[in-house]
Amino acid sequence: MLQLILFNVFNGLIVGAFYALMALGLSLILNLSGVINFAHGGFLALGAYLAYSLMPFVGFWGALLLAPLATAALGLVVERLLIRPLYGRDPLYSLLLTFGLAYILEDAARFIWGAQSLPYPIPSWLTRPLSTQFFFLTGYRLFMVVLVALAVGALFFILSRTRLGMRIRAGTLDLETVSALGVNVRVLRNLNFGLGIYLAGLAGVLAAGMLGLQPTIGTSLIMPSFVAIIVGGLGSLPGTLLGGLLIGVASGLTTVFFPSASEAVIFAMMGLVLLVRPRGLLGEEGRLQ
Amino acid sequence: MTDTTIPPAAGRRTVLRAALAVGAANLAPPFILAARGEQPVLIGLANPLTGTYAAPGKNELAGCELAIAQINAKGGILGRPVELRVEDSTSGDAGTAVQKSRKLIERDHVDFLLGNINSALALAMAQVSNEKGVLHIVPGGHTDTITGAACHWNVFRVCKSTTMEANAAAQQLIEKAGKKWYYITPDYAFGHTLQAALEKAAAKLGGTKVGADLSPLGTTDFSSFLIKAQAANPDVIVFLTQGDDMVNALKQAVQFGLDKRLHLAGAQQELESLEGLPPEARIGAWVFEWYWKQPGVPHVAEFVEAIRKKTGKVPTARTWFGFVSTWTCALAAQAAKSLDAVKMAKALGGMKLPPEIGLVPDTAFYRTEDHQLIASVFVGNAQAGGADPEDLFNVARVARGIDVAGSVEEGGCKLVWPS
Repeated sequence: MLQLILFNVFNGLIVGAFYALMALGLSLILNLSGVINFAHGGFLALGAYLAYSLMPFVGFWGALLLAPLATAALGLVVERLLIRPLYGRDPLYSLLLTFGLAYILEDAARFIWGAQSLPYPIPSWLTRPLSTQFFFLTGYRLFMVVLVALAVGALFFILSRTRLGMRIRAGTLDLETVSALGVNVRVLRNLNFGLGIYLAGLAGVLAAGMLGLQPTIGTSLIMPSFVAIIVGGLGSLPGTLLGGLLIGVASGLTTVFFPSASEAVIFAMMGLVLLVRPRGLLGEEGRLQ
Repeated sequence: MTDTTIPPAAGRRTVLRAALAVGAANLAPPFILAARGEQPVLIGLANPLTGTYAAPGKNELAGCELAIAQINAKGGILGRPVELRVEDSTSGDAGTAVQKSRKLIERDHVDFLLGNINSALALAMAQVSNEKGVLHIVPGGHTDTITGAACHWNVFRVCKSTTMEANAAAQQLIEKAGKKWYYITPDYAFGHTLQAALEKAAAKLGGTKVGADLSPLGTTDFSSFLIKAQAANPDVIVFLTQGDDMVNALKQAVQFGLDKRLHLAGAQQELESLEGLPPEARIGAWVFEWYWKQPGVPHVAEFVEAIRKKTGKVPTARTWFGFVSTWTCALAAQAAKSLDAVKMAKALGGMKLPPEIGLVPDTAFYRTEDHQLIASVFVGNAQAGGADPEDLFNVARVARGIDVAGSVEEGGCKLVWPS
């Protein structure tokens, strides 16, 4: 029993790392632009399918590199054309827009690549479990965790050490002042959106290797990311990371005792956090409440 | 400069509201209208076109459309052209399925109702069709109760009941995989009755259950389920999940190397799921309800050719469900010489399907007492791909429908006809 629990904690961290990757992109966009990007799952699916179409030409590694960039490029265009006109209005406008966009992206994937799920080939040396004892730790899942760690490290580096990152952080705190200091807020928001969508595209390619391709892949993965943000605390990127890991572990542990609630438990957790500590575990008081 | 003004913060409440809205989103999917004719006979299909069951849903639709074309080419129903009205029921929202069914019956005045892939939605639709007295064919919802305890005089089912699948699958599972079974079961009507039927069938053959877990519909990550199943040390993990859930569960099990330590198998398997799997995960003993490779069975090759021409792919069991369901409407009207639902339902009871519609080795027929279609079941194992890349299932044996159907008494159906 103890082993079962330990295994599930460990496994939950792997799954949680993946939730965190998606949630960080969402969180970035929400923090700076106040846009709740419901289309994040759609971009994720798009990243996955683009990788699938690119793979015959550039291989697995090429697709891993190019597909998220292509998705991010589309994200820049979407932000410029569709989302920018809605800044300054009630956030519900952009919410409805991204909500519709999520449907359009999902159906576009269905239209172009078909409703049928498709297998996504990964290099065979990655598919093997690394040990018979810890069979759930396959090469691919380890690779995924390493990549998530790298992406998160790079993101925090960008945010804390580069000029763009510092402006994003400053803008998150006080956009008006940043604008008054001569920073082009339009460009800042655009790049920030692209960065968030890049993370969605990367998550999509990784998810494709784990689950294969389905048009619904984004929709089914997006809800836990929203929960991760709320549990971790709005406005806090470390909080989002923590939230992702926590719900991964909680969902895994619930499977041991009461499997049919393995999905419901993350929402119960969200409810509990909202009741006891409404700003979330690491969220700042008063911020975005 | 409006875009640089500070937006009202999207706060926690907005995020929460938005999260709630996701549920509401399922209420507005698209609908498709067929071309208008003059005084056509209308067949309404409320089936998943989006969500987990979108792929089987589209295949059932392709089968329906082929049947419609054939029926019209042969003079329609009672001399009138036939039209299909299609609504997206979603993959899991019974409320939407009911609302779409009401729309088809009350607004479009369809003469026949078809649907649903999701057993729970099929049951909900049957309530509506029964209340309205419309002849209702269930192409692909498997839970026993549709033609069992919850049967209705107006409801007929083309696909197998979960008991039929379990009876056909159990013996092979014991022989090929062993006696200690661990179930991973989708948490809704279909999964519950399929597992119950398998437990019953296994017990007769000396099989035991060493564990079972219910997975929520739409689960993407099965790793924690697999960790638990493996710890129980079974001979076989019996996967009862379907659609994308089947693909996710099997794929992860193979990635974990579980196929090298125990058997991965189950009851119902579908070509749609095997196509979505990488070749190394196309393994295990299963049953198919219909398969496109049936050497020597008349008319099957023509059907395969017609569907290939239409969709570019071979028909699946789903395509056949849609095809048979739609043709059943025409056969019922023809036999009753009327579109009166009661007369048609009476005429369908006991009706044998002609070979060009049945497309199976034995003669398919609707059982009079419970309205279940009794037809062959294909028992065998999944394969990576034979000479034909679409040949992903090796049929070891064809079970006769009547041998696996179970009795009407066991099913518990008592038809109540309108007075």
